[in-house]
Amino acid sequence: MTPSAAVATGAVRPIRGPREPGGWRRVAIGAAVVAAALLLWFVAARLGWITGARFPTPTDVATAAKQIVVAPGYSGGTLWVHVWHSSRLVLMGFAIAIATGIPVGLAMGTSRRAEALIGPVFSMLRPIPPLAWIPLAILWLGLGDSAKLFLIWVASFAPAVINTYAGVRNVETVLVEAARVHGARTPQLVWHVLVPGALPMIFTGVRLSLQTAWMTLVAAELVGAFVGLGKVLASAALDINPGMILFAMVWVGLLGAAMTKALEWVEKRALPWLR
Amino acid sequence: MAAVTAAAPSAGLRSLSAAGVLGFFVVWQLLASSGWFPPRYLPGPIAVAATLYQLATTPYSGATLWGHLGASLVRFGVGFALAAGVGIPLGLLMGWYRWLDDVVTPFFEGLRFVAPIAWVPFAGLWFGTGIGGPTLVIFSGAFAPCLINAYRGARFADKRLIEAARTLGASGPRVVAEVLLPASIPSIVAGLRVSAGIAWQSLIGAELIVVASGVGYMMVQAQLNVDTRIVMAGMVAIGAVGVVIDLMLRLLERAAQRHRQA
Amino acid sequence: MSHIVFDKVGRSFTRGGETFEALHDIDLEVRDREFVAVVGPSGCGKTTLLRMVAGLEFPSRGSVRVDDREITGPGPDRAVVFQAFALFPWKTVADNIAFGLRCKGMAAPERQERIARYLELMGLTGYEKAYPHQLSGGMQQRVAIARSYALDPDVLLMDEPFGALDAQTRVVMQEELIRISRANPRTVLFITHAVEEAVYLADRVVVMSRRPGAIREIVDVRAVREREGWAGFERIEEVMDQPSFVHLRSHVWKLLREAVPEERKSA
Repeated sequence: MTPSAAVATGAVRPIRGPREPGGWRRVAIGAAVVAAALLLWFVAARLGWITGARFPTPTDVATAAKQIVVAPGYSGGTLWVHVWHSSRLVLMGFAIAIATGIPVGLAMGTSRRAEALIGPVFSMLRPIPPLAWIPLAILWLGLGDSAKLFLIWVASFAPAVINTYAGVRNVETVLVEAARVHGARTPQLVWHVLVPGALPMIFTGVRLSLQTAWMTLVAAELVGAFVGLGKVLASAALDINPGMILFAMVWVGLLGAAMTKALEWVEKRALPWLR
Repeated sequence: MAAVTAAAPSAGLRSLSAAGVLGFFVVWQLLASSGWFPPRYLPGPIAVAATLYQLATTPYSGATLWGHLGASLVRFGVGFALAAGVGIPLGLLMGWYRWLDDVVTPFFEGLRFVAPIAWVPFAGLWFGTGIGGPTLVIFSGAFAPCLINAYRGARFADKRLIEAARTLGASGPRVVAEVLLPASIPSIVAGLRVSAGIAWQSLIGAELIVVASGVGYMMVQAQLNVDTRIVMAGMVAIGAVGVVIDLMLRLLERAAQRHRQA
Repeated sequence: MSHIVFDKVGRSFTRGGETFEALHDIDLEVRDREFVAVVGPSGCGKTTLLRMVAGLEFPSRGSVRVDDREITGPGPDRAVVFQAFALFPWKTVADNIAFGLRCKGMAAPERQERIARYLELMGLTGYEKAYPHQLSGGMQQRVAIARSYALDPDVLLMDEPFGALDAQTRVVMQEELIRISRANPRTVLFITHAVEEAVYLADRVVVMSRRPGAIREIVDVRAVREREGWAGFERIEEVMDQPSFVHLRSHVWKLLREAVPEERKSA
């Protein structure tokens, strides 16, 4: 096979992470364990160990599911309305955070002056957890979408900046020298060397940003909102509806997982040179 | 290695830093005093500092700042200790006993994606405003790094040490306790640092909802009373404590490293 | 036309309050299209010499000039081949070679033609779309050399370029370098600690002493090569058999070995 054919067909394949042999056995055991747990749940409900006052029975969850999926839904909308609203907010806030955070991180990583000027202020504000901004956000912006967007931005901005900064600083010196030797001026250096070199760490930062953003939004919605998965959780808690609580929790987890997986997919496509 | 040639920060850079920090506070104070924003909503840094001082001595919503911080830290301590106390041994054991790994991982992977904050409704339902609620929330967030880092430390421990132990007749539990644990200390301590950060953050989240004391609770009460100074003071206090916790763990990390070199 | 002149070059640096002299009073001229190798013990500053020509470091005393111009920074006229290859891992082989050409502003068709030419020269045809991590060490270094050659530089600076390769690949690369040097002669400054490699490849070999690095002696290999008639030999075994080669090699070794006791004395 010619070299290019080998590369093109993927016969020469980058080695993946720790995927152990016997992976199927693990999946099988995993599935069996989960199935056993579910079975236990059903049996416990049947036997009356679980009454639905504190922990939902399968029936409770099914009822809740039916209620929220079918119009008019629960607590202000159907499942789809809540999911869409929450997801939309997260993605918007997250996009703004990256669009603002990565350039700042790049500036700090390339210019010592920028780092000296911005760094300390940044380090001062960073220890304040995103969730601690919620009361302030409510005070300033109320319970609507703008407050949520603000919070998502606050939560996701820092990881994006930090990881971009670290990524740029971690680019091997010899690569920067090679670029300069080849006649690269600063814009070319940044675009062709620093950004690609920093991309793996930038993606890590982006992933963290997304997770934090999602968590912050759910928290904010729990505290006070008009619509959204967090709002569903809050209402379900007030109504003492464990079935609905569990159902909403599952969806929080599902969406979090989906976003992370989507991001991983993008990462793999964007970084074809990594083993 | 830095992309920009490394040199000790020059005097010029240091004054830039100072200017940056100073500028931040000056702009803040100017905005606060300008009258463009209602003072109730944008207190200046001086007002916030004064409030911090005041809170240290005068109770608000049931306790002084120290009282609230104390309540928060107790919850943090309990939740964090539980997460580490369960996560670290379990992680080590999972690193050694494959079957345990196979059994636990599916649950873990499934639950991992549920943000800790999402446990708050159940926390409230099961524990009311007792300590169990925040503990549950903290545990759900702080557990993962402890487990994962202990697991990684055990799995990637030097095989030769393990082989040596086994040829000397060590049983499974002994290998875990006397070989894997020491070998995993760096990884575990790194995990503790991450875990503590998450724990402190999740605690604040929990305190916004299901408690009747603590810094988060104090902030919520202040928000309801539209007392922005106290909200900001709370934020500062939370940030400061977070820094202190992280610093202490960083010292622990360094101590663990030094112990290794010895 | 490019010759390099080191004029009373010295280089010191301070670390922890103490001043160390890395290079001491270097006077050296590399003539146009001459292949000069620099050998010396570790830490003698030979890499620093190269980096000063490259514009990545600057002398504390004296000056380094290329074509009578003082060097102010790095540039494509003095291409560098690094020991660690320094290929951009996120670019394909072709894109790596294209990089310098794009910085120059070369138009696409001309770029493609040049890339193709150098790929063929280095035996890399077919690997245009491969990523560096998919290639062996030897192939990566070929790409690095192609990348530098494609710039058509006046000066070629090679910093222990074969140091990271295994012995057999190393010999293959040395033979290739001779072959391309003969086809495209240009001014070369070649750093190595392998004496055989230096004598095999270079017109002159500069032997340096331990830190503070100074020139102990400059050995004129080319004169010997032409006189003894093995200037045209390509296979390294043929060259290594030559008594005059052996003699030259031993001579350089002796010079290097004498440098070592100096360290023991000062220890």
